[in-house]
This record gives sequence, C-alpha cells and structure tokens, in this order.
Amino acid sequence: MLAYVIRRIFVSIPILIGSTILVFIMVKFSGDPLEGLKMRNPPPPRQTILNEEHRLRLDKPVWEQYWLWLKGLVLHGDFGPSVHGNINIGHELGDRLFVTLRLVVLSVLIALIFAVITGVVSAVKQYSATDYSFTFLGFLFLAMPSFWFAILLKSAGIAYNQATGTEAFFTIGEKSVLLTDDSGWGQFKDIAGHMVLPTISLALISYAAWSRFQRASMLEVLNSDYVRLARAKGLRSRQVLVRHALRTALIPLTTVTALDIAALLGGAVITEMVFQWHGLGDYLLRSIRDHDAYAMMGWLLVSAIIVIVFNLIADLLYSVLDPRIRYE
Amino acid sequence: MHTGKRLAGAVVAAGVSLLVVSACGSGGSSNNGKTVSSSFADCATKPNTCNSGDTKSGGTFTFTIEKTIDNWNQNDGDGNTQDFGEVLDGVLPSVFNGQPDLGPALNTDLVTSAQQTSANPQTIVYKINPKAVWDDGTPVTADDFVYAWKTQNGKDCKDCNAASTSGYDQMKSVTGSDNGKTVTVVYDTPFTDWKQPFGPLYPAHIAQQHGDLAASWKWFGENPVNYSAGPYKISDYQKDVSVTEVPNPKWWGKKPSLDKLVFRIITDQNQEVPALQNNEVQAIYPQPNQDLVNQVKALAPNVQYTLGKGLTWEHLDLNLKNKFLADKTLRQAVFTAVNRQAIIDKTVGQFAPGIKPLNNHNFMPGQAGYKDTVTASGAGNGDIEKAKKLLTDAGYKGVGTALTTAAGEPVTMRISYTIGNTLRQASAELFQNEMQQLGIKVTITPIQSLGKTLSAGDFDAIIYAWVGTPFPFAGAVQIWTEAGGSDYGHWSNPQADALTKQAASESDLKKATDLLNQADQMLSNDYYSLPLFQKPTFLAVYSQFANIRDNATNVGPAYNDGEWGLRASAK
Repeated sequence: MLAYVIRRIFVSIPILIGSTILVFIMVKFSGDPLEGLKMRNPPPPRQTILNEEHRLRLDKPVWEQYWLWLKGLVLHGDFGPSVHGNINIGHELGDRLFVTLRLVVLSVLIALIFAVITGVVSAVKQYSATDYSFTFLGFLFLAMPSFWFAILLKSAGIAYNQATGTEAFFTIGEKSVLLTDDSGWGQFKDIAGHMVLPTISLALISYAAWSRFQRASMLEVLNSDYVRLARAKGLRSRQVLVRHALRTALIPLTTVTALDIAALLGGAVITEMVFQWHGLGDYLLRSIRDHDAYAMMGWLLVSAIIVIVFNLIADLLYSVLDPRIRYE
Repeated sequence: MHTGKRLAGAVVAAGVSLLVVSACGSGGSSNNGKTVSSSFADCATKPNTCNSGDTKSGGTFTFTIEKTIDNWNQNDGDGNTQDFGEVLDGVLPSVFNGQPDLGPALNTDLVTSAQQTSANPQTIVYKINPKAVWDDGTPVTADDFVYAWKTQNGKDCKDCNAASTSGYDQMKSVTGSDNGKTVTVVYDTPFTDWKQPFGPLYPAHIAQQHGDLAASWKWFGENPVNYSAGPYKISDYQKDVSVTEVPNPKWWGKKPSLDKLVFRIITDQNQEVPALQNNEVQAIYPQPNQDLVNQVKALAPNVQYTLGKGLTWEHLDLNLKNKFLADKTLRQAVFTAVNRQAIIDKTVGQFAPGIKPLNNHNFMPGQAGYKDTVTASGAGNGDIEKAKKLLTDAGYKGVGTALTTAAGEPVTMRISYTIGNTLRQASAELFQNEMQQLGIKVTITPIQSLGKTLSAGDFDAIIYAWVGTPFPFAGAVQIWTEAGGSDYGHWSNPQADALTKQAASESDLKKATDLLNQADQMLSNDYYSLPLFQKPTFLAVYSQFANIRDNATNVGPAYNDGEWGLRASAK
C-alpha cells in the first residue's frame, strides 16, 4: 500500500508540472497585468511601468519567467511576485484555504448527513410520496444555478430580518465588522448568522447530487442476494438496513464525496463571490481580473494538489471499505 | 399516514416556492424616469451643498468601496485607486480637493492660502494652517511638502513607483520658511495645473524613521495608515473586509459627529444592494445599470439615491493607420453617420435620462472650461444623408450598398470593444448598423485586453473610456499629442500638439483654457475621436444620514466625510 501511495505521488509530479506550463502560457497570452496601470489618466511615469515590468519579470522571455517561478517555488517556497507588490501569494493562499475550509467542511457535513438520510429513506420507501418529494427536491436543487439559489437565500434572509425586525441573517462576509454584543454568545450568534446562508447554499448543491447517488446505491444493495439472505435468516429489518445494506451502499458515495470535496476546496467560487467570503474561489476571480499570473499559478498549484490528494484518498478508501480491492 | 407524507412534501415544495417569490419580489419597480430622490433633489443646481442638514453626535456609518486595499501609499501606482482614496479622504490631507461641481477647492484646514506670487518663474506660496498637526502632535510643515516632491518628481527616487509625476517633475525647488509653515514652490516651466500636486500628504517625520526616500516610500505602502492629519484616524483594518475610522482627537477643525465611519469592501457590485437592503451598509456608490437602479428605487423612502454625470467618458476612436480611415472624408462621413443620442438611448439613457452627448475631449459640462467643439463639425448627429453625400462627392462608389473607394476597393472595418462590456457591445452594434447604411461592412470584434489592443494599434474603430479630471492640462498632453504616449490611433496634428503643450505650461488659467479648447476644436475637425457621453454615477444612501453627496472627481463622495452624520431629526 505504501509503495502504491509513493508511486502515485511521483506520477503526479509530471502532471503538476505539465499543468503549470499549460496554464502559465495561457495566462501569459490572456492579457497585460499592467493594463490597469497603463490606462490611468494621467498615465503613470515611464519609470513606474519599467519598475513594475522588472518586478513582475515581464522584461524576460516567457520560458525564463516560468523557470524562475519553478526554481523559486522549489528552492524557496516562493510563489512569485503578485501584481500587487505587497501581497505574498503563499500567505494569501494559506489564509484563504482556511476560509474556504471553514465554509466547505460544514456544508459537506450537512450535505452528507442529509444526502445519506434522504437517499436511504427514498430507497427504502421507493415510489412513495416521500420518495417523490425527495426526488423532486433533488432534481430541483440540481437544476437550479447555484448563483441564483444563493441570491434566493439572501432575499429570504433579508425578508426574515425585515419581517421580524431582527438581524438574524447577514448577506456579506464571515463576521460583523463591529459587534454590538461581544460576549461569547453574541460572537457565536454573529458568526452563525453569517454562516447559515452560504453554508446552505453550498450544501444544497452537493446534497442534490449525493442524495441521488445514495438512493441508487442503496437500491442496488437492497436488491442484492446477500441482503435477501440476511432477511431470510430472520435478522431484524433495522439490522439488515444499517449493518448489511448501508455500509456497502456508502462505498460509491464515499469516493464521489472525496472527489467533490477537492473541487469545492479549489474554490466555492460562486458562493464565495455572492456572500463575499475571501476564500480561494474569490482569489481566483480576483487574479483573473487583475491578470495576476503568479497568483493564478499558485491557485492552480494548490487546487491541483488538492485534487491529486483527494483522488488518492478516494482510491485508498475503496480498499479500506471494500476488502476485495487491494493495491500492490 | 400517506396524507401526512404528501403534506410534508407539499410543505417543502411550498417553502421553496416562497423563497422564489420573496426573491422575485425584491426586484423593484419599473423605471419611473427620475434621476434623484427627494434628499438629492437640488443636486443638479447646488451640487456642493445638496442633501445638507444639521447632524447630531453619535452613530456609525458604513460606506461601500469596491476594491481591496493592496498598497497603503496612495501616491504609489498600486495604491492609487479611487476606492482607497475615499478611505483616506478624512485621514490624509490634500491642498486642493475636487468638489461635486468638478472644480478644485482649497483645503483651508490644511493651508490658509495657496497663491501664485510670480508668473516667471512660476512661483506658488502655500501658508500652512498654524493649527495643522499630525495626530502625534508633530506640526504639518514644509518637510511634508518636500517629501511629496522628492518621492514623486521622478528624479530623486527612481524606485518610488509614483502613480504620477505630473507637476512635481517641473518643480525646480520646494523650500520651507517661517518655521516650516510657509512653503514656496518654484517651477522650472510653468505648470497650468499647479493646484493638482500635494495630495495626499504623507508625514515626513515618520518617513525619516524608516530609511531613505525609497525605503520609506515602500514602508508607507506596506503598513496600514496609523497616522492622521484629518478629521478621522484609522482604528481598525480587517484585510479585504473593512477599514474603521474614529474621530482624530488632535483634529483642529470641526469635529466629526459620527462615532465610527466604516469603509466596507464589497468586490462584487451585484451584492451591494442586498447588503444595503439588509442595513449591513448604509451607502453604496456602484457603476449603475438598469437593474441596480430599479432595485434601489424599491428601497425608497428609507434609501435615497442620485444619478449624476461622472468624469468617465466613452468615446469612439478611429485608427488613422488604417488605409481607409487615413482619408479624412471617410472619417467625417463615419462620424457624421454616428447617432450619439441613439447610443445613449439604447444604453445609459434607459436608467439615467439626464445623460446627453458630450461635446469636448478635455472638459466636462459643469467645468469652467467646457465648450462645445463637436456640434459644429457635424459629427455624432446621425445624419446619414449628409454622410452619404460626403462620400459621393469624394468619389466613393456604392454609397449605401457596398462602399468602395474610387479605385474600386471595398471599404471594410472592425469595431472593437472589451469583451463582456454590454454597454460598449450595444454601442458597437448601433455603429455597425449605421455603417451598413453607408454601405460599409463592419465586423464587431470583442477584445480580451484593451491595453494590448491599443498599444499594438490592432483596431480600426474602438470604443473605450477616459477618465476626466479637474486638472485636465497635463493629461491632455499625454493623451492627445503625438509623442504623449497614449495617441493609440496615430492622430498627428503639429499645430494642435503645440497648442496643447502650450496650454499645459501656462501660468494664466484662462489663456490655458482657450488654448486647450483651440486644440480640442482641431481634434474634432480632424474626426479622429468622437466623445459619446459621460457615464452616470450612482449614489444611494439611507435617508437618516446628512451631508453625503455625489462627487464624481477622483476624491469621490467621501471628500467631506468629516461632515457626514445622523440627521438631527433622525430617531
């Protein structure tokens, strides 16, 4: 197993390098990072533009720019210069990964719990009103564009605040800038009030797909021979469901979840934008807008590593959950 | 049992529907044609005093800005954004501030006078207010002026990434006298916009603690501003989220009435109205569009708004390197066929009825030097028949069907605009339609990078914007003269170049204005750049706050944030 993991990690390195080369070239040809500066009125002095071109290594050939980036990253952990001279891309990515994690972890947990419950209930009560209701909701949330759903949630939160005359829900940020009640309870309420809407927004997107997976997987297991045998042996229905059926039916969802978490960590782009959370997704948007090549490279690297790691985790979980699979 | 399950399903579905309905309901009413609501009713006639009122002490006011703060030195190329400028309006002082009427006004809290005492050599004497001190008690002195000059003149500090050297690079000397309370600036060559330099000032005594010019410049950029010589000082900064300001205890002017002033950063414009509606912010100042204006209208009467005319102005430029457009008659016909009012009606006019075609390249309506140089040239009125006649008289064939030169070469061109800019896309489509009526086949070309396209000269016709300023002379040299650096369409007129340069080097403002308008007339008569319209500005504020008003100059609405406050009549 360990040998397998090490082999997978080594195989990932050329993939990572290849993807960075590709993105670097695309970014380089997508726009001028100093465009905003050059288009000012009155235009900045020539010396300022020359200084910036030198700092951003734009006075060097593209291949050399890439090589310097790679060398700096490998030897010094330096992600390269940002368009904004005071920003350290490495620190920025670290801080923002933490913000995104806070958002993603809770929403994934909520989505998982509800997906498993509704998936199992739907499968057990197949073709009942409950199954139809959950199916309807699942497809509704699947079909809804996430930005639109996020805006709906905001409007509902605002409507609730106005109807009750409270400040229960907030539409921007992770916490209030100025707290009127800075007791422990007050802080908890404030953070919760900021987290509810984005968490629901993000959770429902994952929930919709995962509940359908869980339902299908559960149905398949419930109709398998060994479950029938367990029932025939006279085991209690609850025991059959939880111990025999559910454990097996969780395998596909586990791997799908691992892969989806990787995508979410890369940036819950829309949720972060709508709710103004400054996570990795927000950083990607900002880097694209500013033509911040090295910031985009940093984001890509972090996302690619997350995807590779979670792919590996998904594969390893297979072997843990299903004794028939063994990696050599 | 089954009924119960169905009921549960129905309740869930109904809940979702309710969400949908509540969201749709917040969309607002249709545009009723107004450009202001009652608090701002007199802004058109009294831009500098509208929405005034007595205030009472206390309260917090949150103003929205749209850009993160990436550099704390506003004079640095990276920190020189309007949004950050607004944060500093009440913290770091400038000698002159742009006012809502677009004119510069002397900041008498900082200097009691600023006068030109000699025309040759041009000499300006500033008398610093004796009460003016930094919040650590150090007086504001000529040293602060000298520091601004040396870091931004492009000579003493090559590593200072100044956003502009305009004016500073023409100064021969900046000297202090009268115990540092009088500053005398002598210019090498006269600088018409002499009211532009010295803002915002950074404290020289703090710079001294952080190394030489370049090192201190960098230090100012890297560290949040924890010094002040304005009504407010920064008390808290949350990265990418907010800047909180409190009254500066050492402020010698009129005390601000607010307890706290917060600048909240919202980087996605679409999220500003919900935040306003939820009272998380009390004012927004976004680039308006029809949806946004309608959403804010639905928040009346709690929220008041005003649509003003901004200093950002759209224009249509032609590339004179294009073999067809090198011919002045063709350019004249093209501009004659363009209907600017139609472009306005189809774009900004839908939510900002007061917008009219712009008729000058350097001055905006309301500014002292504004003069119509366009109408007489016949450009921009959509006169297709006149345009056709011009082409026919010049020997073009296929006028109105498939235009060719006298030699039989089909006339085609591209019109470029930045991809995703719907306003310019609509303008380009109208242009294409108008040219089709002349028989010119126009291909609409969305571009990724405006800067690259302009620098490479890779366009035939292009729509983009310049930002006007209360100090237009130095900028005019850079934009309109052949060697200025921004003459992307390769317009060359030595006479106009000479007039523009002379206008920027005058010690007599009236004469300079006349000279620049003469050059502007030549620019119009050469049919190279057609001003289209000023983009509207949009300010929306909760009605219980007084003294906040639109200011389209680079200082923005926060130019007077020391006066902002809760209305005395507010509950």
